[in-house]
Amino acid sequence: MNIPVYENHQKSREMFQRATHIIPSGIYGHLGPAEGQFIPVSNWPLFAEKAKGSYMWDVDGNKYIDYMCAYGPNVLGYCDEDVDAAAMKQIALGNCTTTPGKVMLECAEVLVDTVNTADWAFFAKNGNDATQGAIMCARAHTHRKKIIMFRGYYHGVSPWCMKKDYPGVLEEDVCNNIVIPWNDIPALERVIEENKNEIAALIAQPYDHGNFYDNSFPAEGFWKKVREICTKNEIVLIIDDVRAGFRLDLAGSDHFFGFEADLICFCKALANGYNMSAICGKEFLKSAMSSLSYTGSYWLSAVPFAACIACINKMKKLDTPKMFFEKGTKLTEGLKLAGKEHGFDLVVSGAPALFYLRIANDDSMVLHQEWVAEMVKRGIFLASHHNHFINASLSDKDIKHTIEVGEECFKILEKNHPELF
Amino acid sequence: MTDAKTLAYINLYGILGALENLCELDEEASKLANVKKPLSIAFSVKNGPDATITFKNGRCRMEQGVAPGCNVLLPFSSCEKFNGLIDGTVTPIPVKGFTKIGFLLNNFTKLTDILTKYLRATEEDLKDEKFFETSTKLMFYLITVALSQIGNNDEIGRFSASYIPDGIIEMSIKDSVSATIRVKDHHLVTIKQKPESYRSKMEFGSIRLARDLFDGKVNAVACIGEGTVTMSGLINMIDNLNRILDRVALYLA
Repeated sequence: MNIPVYENHQKSREMFQRATHIIPSGIYGHLGPAEGQFIPVSNWPLFAEKAKGSYMWDVDGNKYIDYMCAYGPNVLGYCDEDVDAAAMKQIALGNCTTTPGKVMLECAEVLVDTVNTADWAFFAKNGNDATQGAIMCARAHTHRKKIIMFRGYYHGVSPWCMKKDYPGVLEEDVCNNIVIPWNDIPALERVIEENKNEIAALIAQPYDHGNFYDNSFPAEGFWKKVREICTKNEIVLIIDDVRAGFRLDLAGSDHFFGFEADLICFCKALANGYNMSAICGKEFLKSAMSSLSYTGSYWLSAVPFAACIACINKMKKLDTPKMFFEKGTKLTEGLKLAGKEHGFDLVVSGAPALFYLRIANDDSMVLHQEWVAEMVKRGIFLASHHNHFINASLSDKDIKHTIEVGEECFKILEKNHPELF
Repeated sequence: MTDAKTLAYINLYGILGALENLCELDEEASKLANVKKPLSIAFSVKNGPDATITFKNGRCRMEQGVAPGCNVLLPFSSCEKFNGLIDGTVTPIPVKGFTKIGFLLNNFTKLTDILTKYLRATEEDLKDEKFFETSTKLMFYLITVALSQIGNNDEIGRFSASYIPDGIIEMSIKDSVSATIRVKDHHLVTIKQKPESYRSKMEFGSIRLARDLFDGKVNAVACIGEGTVTMSGLINMIDNLNRILDRVALYLA
């Protein structure tokens, strides 16, 4: 077995230095080393040269099997030939035009045919555009202010969905948010009683796939009960499927968990990296959605629509949710076993398609961070405290190699921590 | 927005609390604290913090609460009044310890003047390496104490603290000073020494970098990318602590 060890990130470092002079934080947001929690940062690449399939090459020539998949958009494999061909065909016809390309209509038809709860589709660019639009739609429909969310929520970066201690966010931005624990029906009933006829929407991810803790599925009967409560109290039920969408079920993650959302938000896996997001909804909300003054310069660009159609058709053809479940299970079972052989308890949580990892031998995550850093150093791109993503191009050979590297890194961890054994 | 109560806690435990470190780091301050017999000054702020500072053998120690045997007692009718003392707009009137008024007016005032010089350092002063180091260490201790006070008292700070799990956070400047922030049930306590172990850790790569961060000359997020600020362990502890850190500048401005 040949496992490379990457020590050279010189070009990445130099480029980052250049970037810090002209870009706030150098690389900001989740793709950056701070929010991405590159611990220690010296083990991580900072800039990519190219990507193909499951692989990403950094600017220093190091090759990685990338389990972050650009934090989700890479669903079929980077530079998928079918999706890129559809996009290139469309770009020759026109992209950002005064009237939208006809492909917009075709894309909406594909989405409405694919997504269980969809009577209509509305397009934007980022996941945040979709969640923001869904909240506005719910408020327009109900003429109410308040929003229920579950603790640990992440619904984007608009002020309303952040927290009052975030820089740039006002208390007034979040004063209509009601936060309750995940899986807690009594808490939901209580806050609805306390805010009778004031709650516009409940927005939630289909399962709790937050960071820093084991991801958690809905309890038995949870979503059925939430659906009943929302219907009874005329609260719009919004599923934020930006991250999990199409990885669990092509008909939507609400369908996967056996209920119907009123609005569902998609982004990451929609178009294999072409920039678009969508809100799908039920008929009774179409008029409210129509009433919004909500648009953007590039929201109706044609190229992403063409990519989206190709992407969804290919996902259907490959039955990617089934594939992701199998690949994710095979990978995580292998890693767990490798950990066990060296005395480490690797906890795997969430859906196999979006597996979350945590070494449970200490309560500080330091062991986990050390293991992840060793993995990255050997060409397996993981994140310390975020769920990972499976994409369709990931091969059995990639999985086998990842498990072998995983075992090697557990061995290193065992050697570095004799005090544990 | 800041509030007077939180500021009073910072002023007492952070600013006056830094006298402990000042006496250790500055020779002149140590001489001023070198009293023949231990001497204690208590500060009692209505609806705010209480503490007693005891001077002994060229050092001083602060303890929470009014020590029953304190030599001087300075009561303040409100947090605003106490904050006025720190601003220099309010003159305290002791209700106990008139015989020790000389120490209060002379040594104690001189000590706080020295402290102010370090905490409000000018660019010129900072050119002196020793002054620079002492000033930065004092700033570090003040900031770490302020973190706990804001996390316990300020409304937004308490919100941030409500997301911090239990455990020890170590904050340090590499090859220099360290502090422990102990979190239990979202209540923060700062201990101005390195912990034996930690659940999360944030370290500034050098005293020069720490100073630049304190002065807002460099960006902490970019420093993480450069590897000059490092974090490890339970990052959500540090993540939420950093939100409180954002508010420290508001209070210390």
